[in-house]
Amino acid sequence: MGNRITIPFGSQHVALPEPIRFVFQTENEKIVDVEVDVGYVHRGIEKACMTKFKYTQVGYVVARVCGLCAISHTLGYVTAVERLMEIEVPKKALYLRLLVSELDRVHSHLLAMGHLAEVAGYENLFMHTFRDRELVMELQELVTGNRIQFDYATVGGVNRDLSLEVERELREKLKDLQERCLWLKDVFENDYTIKLRWKGIGVITPEMARELNVVGPPARASGLATDARNEFNYLPFKEVGYKLITMKDGDIYARNMVRAEETLNSLEMIFNLLDGMPEGDIKVPVKGLPEGEAFVRIEAPRGELFYYLKGSKKLILDRLRIKVPTFSNIPVMKELFIGMDYADVPATVISFDPCLSCTAR
Amino acid sequence: MNLKKYRTKSPWILHYNTGSCNGCDVEILACLAPKYDIERFGILNRGNPKQSDILLVTGPVTKRARERLIRLYMEMPEPKVVVAVGVCACTGGVFRGMYNVENGVDKFIPVDVYVPGCAARPENIIDGVVRALEILEKKKKDLQLTRKCTGTEELEYLLGKQLNRRKIVAEGTRRCYESRRD
Ligand code: SF4
Repeated sequence: MGNRITIPFGSQHVALPEPIRFVFQTENEKIVDVEVDVGYVHRGIEKACMTKFKYTQVGYVVARVCGLCAISHTLGYVTAVERLMEIEVPKKALYLRLLVSELDRVHSHLLAMGHLAEVAGYENLFMHTFRDRELVMELQELVTGNRIQFDYATVGGVNRDLSLEVERELREKLKDLQERCLWLKDVFENDYTIKLRWKGIGVITPEMARELNVVGPPARASGLATDARNEFNYLPFKEVGYKLITMKDGDIYARNMVRAEETLNSLEMIFNLLDGMPEGDIKVPVKGLPEGEAFVRIEAPRGELFYYLKGSKKLILDRLRIKVPTFSNIPVMKELFIGMDYADVPATVISFDPCLSCTAR
Repeated sequence: MNLKKYRTKSPWILHYNTGSCNGCDVEILACLAPKYDIERFGILNRGNPKQSDILLVTGPVTKRARERLIRLYMEMPEPKVVVAVGVCACTGGVFRGMYNVENGVDKFIPVDVYVPGCAARPENIIDGVVRALEILEKKKKDLQLTRKCTGTEELEYLLGKQLNRRKIVAEGTRRCYESRRD
């Protein structure tokens, strides 16, 4: 038995720019207790959406819940409103939404992988990943006009069409991107030291994952076949070659590999989608006011995102409820920490790719 | 050879998120990555306020982040500059007027450079940081001048030519603090 030492980690920490705070109680490097505090960035978006903004504007406000999965949040809200008001969205708009949401997934996964590499001490790999990520950002800028916070989806369709030149350039750059992603996957998969460092650390067993309701890549890395893209019909994923990716080990390495595989799958989907892009309008006019309740499940890059909506024929919504992926993953994080070496904490936290801005809202 | 030229210090940045949506944070990260690469100005991102010269703040100030922001600012050594990145940090942006938000960084700490945009583009952030470097240089000079207490002649004149050393020193110190404040 050693001395009990209290170690605060965050809210401003070198390894973790996110405003989260852990207080670890350790005994001889082993963690015996942990407290988590996530409320540093609470802004009160849900309340503002129910009092300040009209239902047509809320889509742009919820995009500001999180800059990384901006499109997922807008998509969740917009889909919910469309279900409520029974709007028939043109097929082309759905395809364009799918394109942007998959691009978003690629850049988010690359960011997570790069960050994980940096925390493990692979500065060079981090730089490589980020250089390749810039390519995706360029593509997003081409398609939507902004690098981050592109307000693309709107109630009834999308805000911007895909022109022929953009499509041609998109294909060219995507080829390049695919090659680089393949290379990155190869490095992450086969590097000997990475394996030593990440295999068998922070293992979530399938039972644990099921019991504590883990979502997203961590769940799929533990062999749980859960993916909202597979289960909830909000965009035509099946038509463009979606594959469910699962792994068995449930450690940091497996989580990273799930992300790498999903990146490649997303790129494949984008190629198929560009080939089969339907003709037609990108937007339909919206009439009427929302009435009733609706809920929507979306697969954000980090996991399942849940939107609940209630309206009563008013311009302003009665209730908007957002449940974000990181919120579902915090209990298992806490469970994992107890009994773990303190040195493994940063890598484990980052391997969940936490998004505190979403969690606190 | 003029060695002084080579003895300039590399400015280090401290990045604090006071409630942003992560959009601007990611763009700051992109600035450090190979494409934009602000490391070529000698700028490194460090998490330690005691070693930093430039404070990059993103996001509207939430009520809980406020204390930490002020503390981080106080912990940074002089001279220091503050850059507000993104419309949220400048004025509050979409979050303006929400119940847990205090609209903009400049309500609590003095801001030197405002970088607009939602999200602020990396090019703009680099412009902002380069501008901050100029301000930093100026602040450094101001500090050095007053520290050395040069210009005592002028001070003597101001004090009515009484050669009271204590008064001169007091006046010099006062000026030093004044120049720090802005
Ligand atoms: S300015 Fe925009 S991108 Fe930046 S923190 Fe605010 S909402 Fe997010």
